[in-house]
Amino acid sequence: MLLQLRNIFKWVQQGGQRIFLLKDINLEVQEGEFISIMGPSGSGKSTLLNVIGMLDTFDEGEYDFLSESVHTLKEKYRSNLYKEYIGFVFQSYHLLDDLTVEENLEMPLLYKKIKSSERKALVADMLDRFSIVGKKDLFPTQLSGGQQQLVGVARALIGKPKLILADEPTGNLNSQQSEEIMQLFKKLNKEEGVTIIQVTHSEKNAAYGSRIINLLDGRKI
Amino acid sequence: MFRNYLKVAWRNLIRNKSFSVLNIVGLSIGLTVFTLIVLWINFELGFDRFHENQERIYEVNNQYAIEGEIWTWNSTPKAMAPAIKKDYPEVDRVSRYYYDTPFLFSVDEKRIKATGTIVDPDFLHIFSFPLVQGSIESVLSDVNSVVITETFAKKIFGDKDPIGELVKIDNADSFKVTGVLKDLPDNTDFTFEFLVPWDYLIQKDWDDNNWGNNSVATYVKLKENVDFNNFSANIKTLRKNYDKGSPDMETLLYPYSRTYLYSEFENGKEIGGRIELIRMFGFIAAIILLIACINFMNLSTARSEKRAKEVGVRKVMGAPKKYLIYQFLGESMLISSIAALLAFVIILLVLPSFSNLVGKELSIDFTSKEFWLSAIGIILFTGMLAGSYPALYLSAFKPSAVLKGTFHKANTLITPRKVLVVVQFSVAIILITATLIITQQLEKVQDRQLGYAKDNLIYTFIEGDIEKNYGALREELLKSGAATSVTKTSSPITESWSNTWGIEWEGKNENDKTIILRLMADDAVVKTLGLELLEGRDMDLQKYPTDSTAVILNETSVALMGFEDPIGKIVNDNGKKWHVIGVVKDFVFNSPFQKIEPLVIEGAKGWFNVVHMKLNEANTTANNLATIERVYKNYNPEYPFNYDFVDGEYAKKFSDQQITSKLAGLFTLLTILISCLGLFGLASYMAENRIKEVGIRKVLGASVGTIVTLLSKDFLKLVGISILIAIPVSWYYMSNWLEDFAFRITISWWVFAIAGLLTLVIALITVSFQAVKAARANPVKSLRTE
Repeated sequence: MLLQLRNIFKWVQQGGQRIFLLKDINLEVQEGEFISIMGPSGSGKSTLLNVIGMLDTFDEGEYDFLSESVHTLKEKYRSNLYKEYIGFVFQSYHLLDDLTVEENLEMPLLYKKIKSSERKALVADMLDRFSIVGKKDLFPTQLSGGQQQLVGVARALIGKPKLILADEPTGNLNSQQSEEIMQLFKKLNKEEGVTIIQVTHSEKNAAYGSRIINLLDGRKI
Repeated sequence: MFRNYLKVAWRNLIRNKSFSVLNIVGLSIGLTVFTLIVLWINFELGFDRFHENQERIYEVNNQYAIEGEIWTWNSTPKAMAPAIKKDYPEVDRVSRYYYDTPFLFSVDEKRIKATGTIVDPDFLHIFSFPLVQGSIESVLSDVNSVVITETFAKKIFGDKDPIGELVKIDNADSFKVTGVLKDLPDNTDFTFEFLVPWDYLIQKDWDDNNWGNNSVATYVKLKENVDFNNFSANIKTLRKNYDKGSPDMETLLYPYSRTYLYSEFENGKEIGGRIELIRMFGFIAAIILLIACINFMNLSTARSEKRAKEVGVRKVMGAPKKYLIYQFLGESMLISSIAALLAFVIILLVLPSFSNLVGKELSIDFTSKEFWLSAIGIILFTGMLAGSYPALYLSAFKPSAVLKGTFHKANTLITPRKVLVVVQFSVAIILITATLIITQQLEKVQDRQLGYAKDNLIYTFIEGDIEKNYGALREELLKSGAATSVTKTSSPITESWSNTWGIEWEGKNENDKTIILRLMADDAVVKTLGLELLEGRDMDLQKYPTDSTAVILNETSVALMGFEDPIGKIVNDNGKKWHVIGVVKDFVFNSPFQKIEPLVIEGAKGWFNVVHMKLNEANTTANNLATIERVYKNYNPEYPFNYDFVDGEYAKKFSDQQITSKLAGLFTLLTILISCLGLFGLASYMAENRIKEVGIRKVLGASVGTIVTLLSKDFLKLVGISILIAIPVSWYYMSNWLEDFAFRITISWWVFAIAGLLTLVIALITVSFQAVKAARANPVKSLRTE
């Protein structure tokens, strides 16, 4: 088992009242799954994803990741954990505008203290795999949305994560670009056994996954 | 990793050109000012600190209680040095220093005037003025030996070896050059071009054993390992055995290294002196650098929304907070390095003019390790100071918040940034008021009624044959029509050379030891100097031969002596009876910044050093001077004709204050400039961040005017707070500053009003420039981008 959420609650205090963002979420994810989280705006999809990705905290409940109890871990260990095992893909790509494609790919490796020669090899490998070698010296603003997201996925993969968290990865793309990205996810999941959890609005995209989780008002339905 | 940081930092700089320019220019102005002031302070602190045994060198001072107040001064009797040498074995060396005196040197047909003095042979053992030629043990051992500086030697002998050459001094005595001194450095109070042994003074019969005549400086060097506290207690009572007139006067040893910066005494206690000026400007230097750093902090944090995404992404990619802090600190280091480079260029360009302004020859020693170390230190320090807040602020962003796009903190001015703006503008306002008050004070003193007519008035020193030929000289000067009036005096009208508490008059309180200034004048003193006669008449030896023992009082001394009808009263001074023939209105004799002291002008029986001449206004000055020179050449052929204009000499009394005023003005301007650079940047970011709000308001019908007001209001409020903070602070400090001057302005409220208004207007212009731009933007465009 990759991760397990037990009775997760998250709330904010507003005018003396608790507004629940997540309410009693229980979730088990096995390695190699491809899960789609669906639900209307404000249902807590992104919050759940952030909690799984350890970018956000929760107020109650337990969270085990690879048999580590995340809820008892200190911030520093938590960040070590997600640095090691999780890759993120965002709706608006979130590439750094000041860095070239190549440098964007290299960045996560810097924080893992990987040696320069090894970094170069990994980046070259990734550029090759995604057929973007020709674009390695371009800046993100010089790429189309689909190409940017391709770089975004490549960046998420470069650290060899066990889990990829994708928050509406095709939200800003046209249908053809979406299709390409989803195919890529499917391939990664099938051929390399990478676990993927994606948030999506589109039924079509959700169908790529092996399991669909529906949220409404912070609750699993 | 490091390369990556550098790359990102550099691309950031290039991408945000206006931000980078604002930051770098602001910081480099700050660094320039800071460095210039530090160079100046360094020079001042190093003043006369190069003497090898400086911790054992002392200046002999006197202390005496007069009217319950303790006075301290540094002129001593000529007999002091021999007494010290005889009675105090703790003293290694002791030397007198006669006042700096101009002497005429002649070699063959060459005549050169030089300023130098008479010292004991120990002088060169006490102070470290190294000899280039000659032996320190023997250079001053012969009566007719003279030691000269290298430059002076070149001037008088050219390339010839000066050692053993003969020179005639003052047309009277022949001296042999026995030593050549290395030129005195810029940073010493001593200015002599030559030294003559004390024996010469004895030979000329200028020596005396009068303990009441305090006229020379005395320096001592203690032996090693002498306990100073014991010794100074010991020497305190030196005068008991020698000075019949004032045996209770205390002898005080004052560390020589402190004389330049500290030697101002009040009631027996050191109260500072030049060091206060240095501290003040040191403080200003630090403040200006701080303000420049504040700019940097403000601009960097204002830009935070732009960089928030980067922080979020990096954190998600696994960057620990620590790394982000390094990254942002690295960026500010890069900026401070570039700023330092720019500052360095500016400094090289402006250093000569700045040296000129402060009147000191400042330079940078590029070969010194200290220079490079402190340069690197300043870059690191500035980078750290400026970068610390942005680094901590930016690195603390939560990725989940910034990446979701819900991050809009920078929309308004947040508190720390507000505080920083308030600090900047408070300082600016304080500096503006300070500049205004300093300028006002200076103007008031410059406009002060002098009490004499300084225009067209010149003076010359009595030298060579002038004393002998004075009568004829005077006659001819008057006859020639170049001078309308001539008088011989003891000192120039701009300098008081003599004072005493020994004057006695009828009804004087025995304990009254008020110091009275002395001026001697033989004839027509009121007419020549243009004094204002209130009672009685001018000195007129022709008509009243008894005027040789006449005295003219000023108002203050009439008040002191309590004379109801002063004319005809007798005062005793120097064992002579002087009869009062007139009273003049108070005039400025010493410092125009201080109150006027009691003064007596004694007649022809006094001693004389100076001739004052009122030039004839009917002729051109050049003609008058040519005529006078001709007459002088007749009666004093050996000497070059040298003269000084009284108005020029008087103007020199303001040089220190003028420097202060100019520097204050300059620093104020720069502070305002730096602050405005920061405000400009801040306003532009704010306008950018509020562009959506502006768009919505415009769509809903807001006019450009209301939007400009909306955007400017926040900033102006801050300036308002700054005004409230600055006024009491500056009032307090400037009142303190004015305390030093007896003749001073009262601070008026409009100074603060002007400073406040000025700052407000400058801030308004700076901010509204951006606000108007934002307000006029097309709302359709700004709303579409969302």
